[in-house]
Amino acid sequence: MPEPIEPYEEGRAIAATGAGGATDLALSEAETLEKTPGGPQGTGPDKKARSLWSDAWRDLRRNPVFIISGLVILFLVVISIWPSLIASGDPLDCDLAKAQEGSQPGHPFGFNGQGCDVYTRTVYGARTSLTVGVLATLGVAVLGSVLGGLAGFFGGAWDGVLSRITDVFFAIPVVLGGLVLLSVVTSSTVWPVIGFMVLLGWPQISRIARGSVITAKQNDYVQAARALGASNSRMLLRHITPNALAPVIVVATIALGTYIALEATLSYLGVGLKPPTVSWGIDISSASQYVRNAPHMLLWPAGALAITVLAFIMLGDAVRDALDPKLR
Amino acid sequence: MGRYVIRRLLQMIPVFFGATLLIFLMVNVMGDPIAGLCGDRACDPATAAQLRKEFGLDKPVWQQYLTYMGNVFTGDFGTAFNGQPVTELMAQSFPVTLRLTIVAILFEIVIGISLGVVTGLKRGRPVDTTVLLLTLVVLSVPTFVTGLLVQLLLGVKWGWIKPAVSPEAPFSELIVPGLVLASVSLAYVTRLTRTSIAENKRADYVRTAVAKGLPRRRVISRHLLRNSLIPVVTFIGADIGALMGGAIVTERIFNIHGVGLQLYNGIVRQSTQTVVGFVTILVLIFLLANLLVDLLYAVLDPRIRYA
Amino acid sequence: MLLEVRDLHVEFHTRDGVAKAVNGVNYSVEAGETLAVLGESGSGKSVTAQAVMGILDMPPGKIPKGEILFKGQDLLKLKEEERRKVRGAKMAMIFQDALSSLNPVLSVGEQLGEMFIVHKGMSKKDARAKAVELMDRVRIPAARERVGQYPHQFSGGMRQRIMIAMALALEPELIIADEPTTALDVTVQAQVMDLLAELQREYNMGLILITHDLGVVADVADKIAVMYAGRIVEQAPVHEIYKAPAHPYTRGLLDSIPRLDQKGQELYAIKGLPPNLLAIPPGCAFNPRCPMAQDVCRTDVPPLYEVTESPVPRASACHFWKECLHG
Repeated sequence: MPEPIEPYEEGRAIAATGAGGATDLALSEAETLEKTPGGPQGTGPDKKARSLWSDAWRDLRRNPVFIISGLVILFLVVISIWPSLIASGDPLDCDLAKAQEGSQPGHPFGFNGQGCDVYTRTVYGARTSLTVGVLATLGVAVLGSVLGGLAGFFGGAWDGVLSRITDVFFAIPVVLGGLVLLSVVTSSTVWPVIGFMVLLGWPQISRIARGSVITAKQNDYVQAARALGASNSRMLLRHITPNALAPVIVVATIALGTYIALEATLSYLGVGLKPPTVSWGIDISSASQYVRNAPHMLLWPAGALAITVLAFIMLGDAVRDALDPKLR
Repeated sequence: MGRYVIRRLLQMIPVFFGATLLIFLMVNVMGDPIAGLCGDRACDPATAAQLRKEFGLDKPVWQQYLTYMGNVFTGDFGTAFNGQPVTELMAQSFPVTLRLTIVAILFEIVIGISLGVVTGLKRGRPVDTTVLLLTLVVLSVPTFVTGLLVQLLLGVKWGWIKPAVSPEAPFSELIVPGLVLASVSLAYVTRLTRTSIAENKRADYVRTAVAKGLPRRRVISRHLLRNSLIPVVTFIGADIGALMGGAIVTERIFNIHGVGLQLYNGIVRQSTQTVVGFVTILVLIFLLANLLVDLLYAVLDPRIRYA
Repeated sequence: MLLEVRDLHVEFHTRDGVAKAVNGVNYSVEAGETLAVLGESGSGKSVTAQAVMGILDMPPGKIPKGEILFKGQDLLKLKEEERRKVRGAKMAMIFQDALSSLNPVLSVGEQLGEMFIVHKGMSKKDARAKAVELMDRVRIPAARERVGQYPHQFSGGMRQRIMIAMALALEPELIIADEPTTALDVTVQAQVMDLLAELQREYNMGLILITHDLGVVADVADKIAVMYAGRIVEQAPVHEIYKAPAHPYTRGLLDSIPRLDQKGQELYAIKGLPPNLLAIPPGCAFNPRCPMAQDVCRTDVPPLYEVTESPVPRASACHFWKECLHG
């Protein structure tokens, strides 16, 4: 019986140039891309991981969505660190006499219910939102990927227990949990809010990290490394982590946006941040009382909040598209 | 199939007890369970001690939890801050939130899936780009901002709806709040359907259906849609529980006398029994909704049914 | 003539440029005849077939030039609705991977019966009876009991039989089988191939067999078209090609088949990679991999020369077909 003459480099030529879309071409491309991780060609994990990231980076650099959202985020980071660059006033310098007044020279966004300058407060609010978002995301990502990754890697009883624990956390509505846990907190710092988000947010990342570690573990080259007697820690660090990281990063980026929105929601419900902390959530919440007469107080911080959340969601979307070749 | 259902039911049990225990601990550790029992003032020490004894609060927490759960299984959810049995509050508020959730889910199914199918089929065209941008905007504006804006515009400025929903909360008054409650999920359903359709459109079996000479409509409705909707149905089913528990914000904005508002009041007044009781029911609904999803999944996908 | 493809061009418009998948293919099939189309992935063999069936994704696919004559009528000039009525009824296709090509959530009975419901307006009940009949026809045991089962409940060979049954349902005049046995075990391959050949004889259908497996071809095909980079590089009756190939690519393919009398020797392999369709090499597309390549091969595209020495009609797109034939 003659052997098939199919060449080993099936569809390579097309895949290498990234042509996509057409049925026949796209099919062979998808096949090649899916095969590559465990492919018999012996493409090493490092090479594969590196090319995944460099391919993604090449894609991202020419993606307008990534560029725009990246610039917005960069701008937000800069004004969070140096708000005085664009706002000369003091967010806590308020004059009740000017309460609810509209736009006037030097105060483009007008004044809020306590007579504070809305523009200055909106600028200073970025720092709070970004601090909460970034720290909560870091906490969630680290805790979630360590717990989920270990569960996925070792499996067994530890995995079973962890899966049930994540189920338990998933069963509790987030806003509800926030109300219960934060209603008795009197501290006006950002720490209780961040702590709460990490406590209730880690299962989301843990589930994803677990799934992608299990997938990575099943790749042929990882099996081969195991067969060759690679130690657990070496396999985790060198072979699995680089490949399991992508989905975690994508979800964490999008989650960053949702944590910023969650902080605002909790502040609106009165259990998040508290004055004198300057936060968009607090400002929107207090503005909602005056919304019939002075909607500008609500629109500016709400707009800033929406743009920030949007920027992170779009960034996450762009990164996912770049890292997931199947969706191209 | 039967074994599958039983396995799922058994898996629910530890999650149910875990979640209720977690919320019980949170309420007990964080708050003072008797704080709300003496009206707005703090209880004097003697009364407080007596109350603690009466409610069994001097016992260890795990014992309290077991006693509480024992009572729950006989239908006794305790008393709310205003002296009303918690079950009575539930009977008033759950139907309202259920109606609100039904409205929201209908929006997700009708609008979300239709938009998702259209954009998935026309991927890359102007319709697709427009809808995709819209979903991004909806996703990035938190529900409470959407709610406040909708209330301001439709309720106050244009007078299309009443800014606050009446206590009876009929379906007609819940349409706009339901849309607000659904908004984020709606955007998500649209995107999920779009991705799923666009992915399955390239599937081999769709190519086979075309090669069989089936009309385009039949290829889409019978072959493409059925497969693409499996993950969407899963999401929407799981969302039932999430929406009921997440209606706090919407209910507060539109003053809807539902579960969220009762819970909010319970938390503000530190009424342990109200909070734990409501959350217990919500967790149960969440789990049952997930079970429903699993069953639906098996109905839609024979590969699971016969696994 | 049942089917005649004339000067067919297919290209795909992608982000990175225009991929020219098919560049002027000509072939024909008569009723009862089997044409084997041979080539590596990306040679355009499947794309040509999909163009014939009318199942190319357009866009990004595009047919800038060419004719597909089915019993004298150019299918490319038909309206989509008329074209649809031809698909499945007059010509049918069998795909490589039956598991992914069958709808996972519909029973095989529904998928077979659908052909009769859509094309013949049959009732569901009659269509189901027809489905059982078809399953019997392709020798699936216990057809009556299994008609309600789903694709994943069948073995690979049985699934491919269902694909064949689906293609045969309306007794089409032309069947295109795209690597019908590649996904199957070797023992099952022969059974499925025999069944297909038998049914073809019985219904006197034209068969286009797309494959990369020369072993399959030898037993069933009447003539062979070898494709490379979207062109036919050699066309000949099957026995002639085995005796003496007139194109170095065909020679390479034949030499890379393991043979018993060469036990112990290293197996021949064509060097290099298939061409990038976005940038097909100038001249003969095969020249970078060709052991016989001369300067002219790098500049002039070889036409399809008639192999004049042959008693039967055959053709080769090699400037040095004579040397190849005798070498």
